[in-house]
Amino acid sequence: MITGTGVVKTFKQRGKVLGARDVQALRGVDFAIPKGGAASFIGESGCGKTTLGRIIAGLETYDEGEVAIDGVAMSGLKPKERQPHFRKIQMIHQDPYSALNPTRTIHQTLHAPLSLRARQTGRSRSWIEERAAEVLSLVGLDPGSVLARYPHQLSGGMRQRVVIARALTVDPEMLVADEAVSMIDVSLRLGILALLKDLRERLGVSVLFITHDVATARYIGDDGELYVIYRGQVVERGSVDTVIADPVHPYTQSLLSAIPVLHGLEQPGEQPVVPLESLDESRSDEGCLFARRCPFRADRCESERPLLQITGGVPQEHACFHPERRSVIARPLSEV
Amino acid sequence: MSVLLESSSTSAAMRRNFWAGVWRVMRRKPSRLVGAVLMAGFVFMGAFGPLFYPNPLPRDVDQLTRPPSWEHWLGTDDQGRDVVALVVTGSRYVLLAALVTAVITVVLGTGIGLFSGFKRGRWDTVLMRITDMKLTIPGLPLLLVLSTVWKFSSAVQMGLVLGLLSWGGVARAVRAQTLSLRERGFIEAARGLGLSTSHIVGRELLPSMAPYIAMNMLIAITGGVYSQVGLFFLGVLPYESNNWGQMLNTAVFRSGALTVPSALGFLLGPLLAILLLTLAIVLVVDAMDEIFNPRLREE
Amino acid sequence: MSKQAPGVRIDGLTVVYKTTAGELPAVRDVSLTLEPGSITGIVGESGSGKSTLALSLLNAVQPPGRISAGSVEIDGLGDVVGLRGEQLRKARGKHIGYVFQAAQNSLNPLKTVGKQLLDLGRSHGVEDLRGLVREARELLGRMGLDGARVLDSHQHELSGGMRQRVGIMLALVLNAHVVVLDEPTTALDMITQANILKIVREVHAERGLTTLVITHDIGVVAEVADRLAVMYGGRLVEQGPTREVLGSPRHPYTKGLIRAIPRLVGDIDEAQALPGRPPTLATVPKQGCVFRERCALRMDVCDDVDPEAVLQGTRTVACHAVTVKEHA
Repeated sequence: MITGTGVVKTFKQRGKVLGARDVQALRGVDFAIPKGGAASFIGESGCGKTTLGRIIAGLETYDEGEVAIDGVAMSGLKPKERQPHFRKIQMIHQDPYSALNPTRTIHQTLHAPLSLRARQTGRSRSWIEERAAEVLSLVGLDPGSVLARYPHQLSGGMRQRVVIARALTVDPEMLVADEAVSMIDVSLRLGILALLKDLRERLGVSVLFITHDVATARYIGDDGELYVIYRGQVVERGSVDTVIADPVHPYTQSLLSAIPVLHGLEQPGEQPVVPLESLDESRSDEGCLFARRCPFRADRCESERPLLQITGGVPQEHACFHPERRSVIARPLSEV
Repeated sequence: MSVLLESSSTSAAMRRNFWAGVWRVMRRKPSRLVGAVLMAGFVFMGAFGPLFYPNPLPRDVDQLTRPPSWEHWLGTDDQGRDVVALVVTGSRYVLLAALVTAVITVVLGTGIGLFSGFKRGRWDTVLMRITDMKLTIPGLPLLLVLSTVWKFSSAVQMGLVLGLLSWGGVARAVRAQTLSLRERGFIEAARGLGLSTSHIVGRELLPSMAPYIAMNMLIAITGGVYSQVGLFFLGVLPYESNNWGQMLNTAVFRSGALTVPSALGFLLGPLLAILLLTLAIVLVVDAMDEIFNPRLREE
Repeated sequence: MSKQAPGVRIDGLTVVYKTTAGELPAVRDVSLTLEPGSITGIVGESGSGKSTLALSLLNAVQPPGRISAGSVEIDGLGDVVGLRGEQLRKARGKHIGYVFQAAQNSLNPLKTVGKQLLDLGRSHGVEDLRGLVREARELLGRMGLDGARVLDSHQHELSGGMRQRVGIMLALVLNAHVVVLDEPTTALDMITQANILKIVREVHAERGLTTLVITHDIGVVAEVADRLAVMYGGRLVEQGPTREVLGSPRHPYTKGLIRAIPRLVGDIDEAQALPGRPPTLATVPKQGCVFRERCALRMDVCDDVDPEAVLQGTRTVACHAVTVKEHA
């Protein structure tokens, strides 16, 4: 179980004497990902979802709030003491090309963390070799043909599987997959998503999926939770199916409306939400963060910021003064 | 157990593959082979060359400052010694000093650059300020000053001083490389997995920079040769054994090789040696990228 | 705008790349007609040859690649494959606008957009540079940007979506009527992607263009294209009207590709990944069908004979299994 309460992260802009503007990457985010559970962070680039994922994986620090792994608060620990906790959370990077060292074979890549693990758990050297073969089999690769190869000899999909296998070497409890399929060939993406789902079911590893593509988030598991993040704030949070089928926040609705419709197979939703385009870079931090782009904004939105809560008879948490269901997603023609 | 055996045999096979790959890369362009042969020749010359000649070299008083002939391929010097013999016996000092220079340059430069780029923060600031300071010290004048108090009688001393004066550029470049590499996914993954810093630096970062470091090493050798030859040529250092720089000095200032045609061979000898060494290095440097990159090595 | 949208006829186009294993075809015997005023989408995975095909439209395949056979006829320009040197340079930009893959990063970081626009104008001998700037401002304004401000900006001052729009502007400003967009929305967010696609559609209609969109994302094609062509291993395996191809795909690869798209509704187990992996230049079968390794409908004939592209109504499909079924 990993939980976060009021996590704040500010990137300080250095170097500029005048007009230096700090970037608020996260403005007090709460989250809870149960053991063996699934969660997805959804949002545009720059919304803070990646930063949050990196904080959870221990690759980034946070300024305020608290992150706790299995009940242990991280902020009180020294970097050395945090390491064994963060070991339980492994990151799967977006780019399987840069995530593997091009000068090392797959065997070498897996051997290093495995021998560390063998030392920690007092296992023998032969265990390392067995386990290397085992983790590769777990991700659907043939150890015999892959171990001696260099990354460049593998396709993008196979590399991503190796990256996942490497994460598995240290017996993680959670995988953080940051846009883990966006650089993989379309016909193979689903295979990687299915693998993550499969690992969840078989090994009980929880999966945190970070993406701008809502549709892929479903494939991690329908029991998962969806966090829609906008400019460092969670604006809607609920079970995957509820949020996708009945989104109430206009931002979630515009994200869902933007998904291409497969004309010929699907019918577009009746009430698509197109956000106003805000080309003004000087974003105001007053009121609702989305107000500037919101087609439904009211006066109150400009002055007061809505908090994430359950109101108005809506089952999921949302940060909007005027939650309203709209039919935004495309439906298969067969259903219409 | 069979798995274990298999893995040790794979690492042996990989080593074999590496050398097979190097051979493949070298064979791709004939110029690289020429460079490698030339370089091997220089190594042989520096190591064993002086053994073929008596010490001191015989003087032929009838053959002072002669132009090239069948007997003396590059002529003789003003004391009647064979120029080829002088070049060969003089190579040991020059090459050894250059090698020491290169090793110190690369070891110090890489070490400081890696540490600075990897640790960042305060260490980085301090080390880079030191590097900047070092880079602002003009090398030649300092060497001239140093030479007034120190005689550089051994090649190792010479190399040491030159090496200590020339690591700055490498340190800056390696730091820049480290900074960009440490943002790569595989370094971040290694940190996330909890791998030790020594593993990350030694096994992940260094091999990725190997072509770069090897290239710098080779270029530092030419740099080392130029600076010491320059010093001796200027005649600011007394010399106890012959070397290329001192030959140039004598050829130009004592035998007047720039005006007297018969002394041309005397001048040409060391110049040719330096030219060939530089050529050898340039030709081999061309192959470095491909040697250390598994993908390029193989295709 | 008085000029009518030109048609483009690609006929029997083969592009080979020279490798140590000899010349390998990246695009093999592709025939495709872009109807005047239509938007055609080419979908393919990495190594399918889609980008090479797009470059052939400008005769811009770089060595070690070369066009070894076939022709690309553009109305009002002739066979592009035969053009050389200055003629070719003039044709690019004036007749064919190209928005490069990752156009977000293809601007010169040291020059303002306006300077680059003027460079473009000068290199094409435009006399009325003022008019060119006016045209650029209008185009940018049409795409929802403040033209004057964008022209004064450097690359780093623009967001990804804005850069993509600048790329489109630069491709259109010389009044090209054939436009090629290579992966126009990769690395863009969903909302930005939807905006760009809307702009592509609108500008296409307003200026009377013939547009070719190259992408790996069927969704992008589904949103903008009238016709859809699917490439695999250098071959064009299926083409036809977008809605028809999506609604009832015939080639097993098209079917697999559509089934592999994660959707927002429906049973998640219905979506399936294609087995195997896409071929690279070196692993494309030299003989027989390029898709057979991953195909569920594989027959003996697929090993030896490369299926011909057969016209079936509005659709062209290159598959033995489909052809057999049609004739049975």
